[in-house]
Amino acid sequence: MSTVAVSVKNISKYFGKVCAVRDLGFEVQANTCFGFLGPNGAGKTTMMKMLYGKCTRGAADDGTIEVFGYDPAKDELAIKYLSGVVSQDNNLDEELNVISNLMVYARFYALPRKIAKSRIEYLLDFLELSEKTYSRIKELSGGMQRRLVIARALMNNPKLLILDEPTTGLDPQVRHLIWDKLRQLKKQGTTVLLTTHYMEEAFALCDEILIMDKGKGVMQGTPAQLLEQNVEKYVLEIIGSQSFDAVSDNDIPQTVRVDRSEETLRLYSDDAQHLKLLASQLQGAHYYLRQANLEDVFLKATGRALNERQ
Amino acid sequence: MSDSKTYLYPPLGWRLFSVWFRHTRVYTKNIFSNGLPPFLEPLLFLAGVGLGLGKYITESMEGLAYIEFLGTGLLVTAPMFTASFECTFGTFIRMEFEKVYDGMLAAPITVNNLIIGEMIWAGTKGLFFSFAVLCILSVFGIVSLPKCLLAPLVGFLTGLMFSTLAMLVTSFVRTINHFNFYFTGFISPMFFFSGVVFPISNLPSYIRPIAEIVPLTHSVRLVRAVCTHRYNPALMLDLLYIIVFILIIGFFAIRRLRKRLVY
Repeated sequence: MSTVAVSVKNISKYFGKVCAVRDLGFEVQANTCFGFLGPNGAGKTTMMKMLYGKCTRGAADDGTIEVFGYDPAKDELAIKYLSGVVSQDNNLDEELNVISNLMVYARFYALPRKIAKSRIEYLLDFLELSEKTYSRIKELSGGMQRRLVIARALMNNPKLLILDEPTTGLDPQVRHLIWDKLRQLKKQGTTVLLTTHYMEEAFALCDEILIMDKGKGVMQGTPAQLLEQNVEKYVLEIIGSQSFDAVSDNDIPQTVRVDRSEETLRLYSDDAQHLKLLASQLQGAHYYLRQANLEDVFLKATGRALNERQ
Repeated sequence: MSDSKTYLYPPLGWRLFSVWFRHTRVYTKNIFSNGLPPFLEPLLFLAGVGLGLGKYITESMEGLAYIEFLGTGLLVTAPMFTASFECTFGTFIRMEFEKVYDGMLAAPITVNNLIIGEMIWAGTKGLFFSFAVLCILSVFGIVSLPKCLLAPLVGFLTGLMFSTLAMLVTSFVRTINHFNFYFTGFISPMFFFSGVVFPISNLPSYIRPIAEIVPLTHSVRLVRAVCTHRYNPALMLDLLYIIVFILIIGFFAIRRLRKRLVY
């Protein structure tokens, strides 16, 4: 049986005249991981903030937001009580040490002291921070601070975990650790909602992905669906303009899609043989043939050029 | 699912308390550097008057020796300064630089809870600062216990009152340096012209109405009455002023500041 954890319909959000979110709608099934993927300024963070009442949704529209059946405009507190939020910045209390940070936060949920203590002990262990229990925040590395913020968000055993770019700027070890933990949480029944602009992250974690651009949802599906339906299976990437100047458009069959940027030529096709043949004609050029990935979908969906918000 | 209201998030009182607790915890973390100055400052003032200035001021002010006059005034200026700093620079830094509020607002509290909890905290700080001054005053026998023990309560009200105004100012400020105008243009003048350093009856008649309008004057009158035990019915007006001020300015402060926090 699948239940809907988050349901959003026709939501728009304007900041002054700037439209941050435009007529967005999606559903998140309970106990799944849902990812927002999009360039900077696509409206991912704004959408997440609207879910727990940090942003208000536009007053004029007829859209609805429901989180576990609660409307953030009316039942903000119930939603917050059931959710944990990891925002983009590590907003920890720098004056306090690790355990005090968590103890102060436990108060907001009215957890009795004893229960709070054992919960914190468990969370620090879960995120592999036990050794840092009494450290000052400034002594923690970026990865540790991030994990502490995640621990804090898990304080009340949330049914919904909202993470805004959980691993941006972290090293691969920490990223993989965090991914592991998020997978474990999902197994334990937590619904996970995250934003990212890392393709591997979305691919590794998400059951469903919504690609956003300029406030709009442009593509939605499982990672496999997105790949299958929107992009060819293989890519031949030729690097360096002098190499691909030799490839005239006449050499390229109609079935091959061409994506040209200044220093890279990408040829997309479902037929690897086609691409191999083309590659063989390039003498000494720097090229490689690979499977298409989510990044190719993403670039196709959101375009290669930077927009004014990035 | 929405019909089951079994998810009992904490009640209002607890939510305010948890905000207050966070601030208290952070403040008491550096108990030495935060807790000592409130005791030292009145000491310096009184030493200045006792050792030097007092010799030249022989006339009594409102029936008090100068050291009593100034000393009792400090019982409310200390809360004024601390609440003003807390809810201007402090609030602004938490809001814009440290982003502490973003973390707190992810917990089950509303923006109103956050702002009101912080005002109550500023009031508490006022109470503590007032208490510190009271300790120094009574050690030197300038006021006599226990009748002055009500003074920190006036300190609490004063702190609360100035926190609402400070938050209202903060809601307008975009750059932290703008607070300098508030302190130089409003808070410091109030220290001199609200009957703390000299009686407002000595002010020129065209300035006196201004002294009656500004908030500190009313705190000063209340706290002197408490310390000297000279009550009169007119004090009810001062108390009323403070309460109405807290309610009205507090209302606008919350309304404006919440737009900075929830957008």
